[in-house]
Amino acid sequence: MTTPDDTIHQPVRLRIMAALTALPARADGIDFSRLKKLTGATDGNLGAHIDTLVRARYVAVAKTFVGRRPRTTVVSTADGRRAFAAHVAFLRSVIDRSAE
Amino acid sequence: MISDAQHASAQIAEIEAVRRAVRQSNFYRLASVIVILWGVVTAVGNLASHAWPRSAGSIWIGLDIIGVLATSALGLNMRGRGYPRAFDWRTPVAFALFFGFGLLWSVGLGRFGPRELSVFWSTLFMFGYAVAGLWLGAAFVVLGVGVAGLVTLDYFFAGPWFDIYLALFNGGGLVAAGLWMRRA
Repeated sequence: MTTPDDTIHQPVRLRIMAALTALPARADGIDFSRLKKLTGATDGNLGAHIDTLVRARYVAVAKTFVGRRPRTTVVSTADGRRAFAAHVAFLRSVIDRSAE
Repeated sequence: MISDAQHASAQIAEIEAVRRAVRQSNFYRLASVIVILWGVVTAVGNLASHAWPRSAGSIWIGLDIIGVLATSALGLNMRGRGYPRAFDWRTPVAFALFFGFGLLWSVGLGRFGPRELSVFWSTLFMFGYAVAGLWLGAAFVVLGVGVAGLVTLDYFFAGPWFDIYLALFNGGGLVAAGLWMRRA
């Protein structure tokens, strides 16, 4: 029996992890503005949830410059991918149990 | 805490919705680069045809080869970075069918002048974009119908500036559509 991941199950963090793990592991990640659009979160809210995921070592953040403009890119870590897969497995087990 | 199947189903549905959006967005990003590339190829081809009308045939063959090679290189680059194949074997086959159909009418069945030939090829491929858009996404339908409409207006109203306007409407239209798709 798997267990839920308390860090991931929060709705905004769930969307962040769903978006990041939809990319191949070798991909460059998703930049902050695109992530904001995908999750529907505000700047501050998204930043806070990313910090939580960074502390859990589920995502890593890279800050670069494109010309003069700063660019923040978020990428899922191997731990994050494993935790997300385990959380999805838990959700499916809950659904399967209710169908039995 | 997740304790019931309804909540779990809602989270799974949320995950699937976000993943679909990411996949669509990735596809649009790759496709947008290809659309911009062909916009530049088209604009250069039309401007060159205006400047050197006698060499237009050779210019277009050269530009089309460059476009196909660059498109293949972009696809391979994305595959190398781990992205799933955005286009399968049907895409080059579809292009070959379109080219074959176009050649059949251009050099065989049709009695086109240079101007009609330019409009024919432009609208033929825009028709392809519009039909593909029914499966790939609304942006392609808008692009195909919009550019085909502009090219048709160009045919009737541009007069001696036909090739220049074609570069602007067809080439520029593709570039503008590609930039718009990057924001979608």
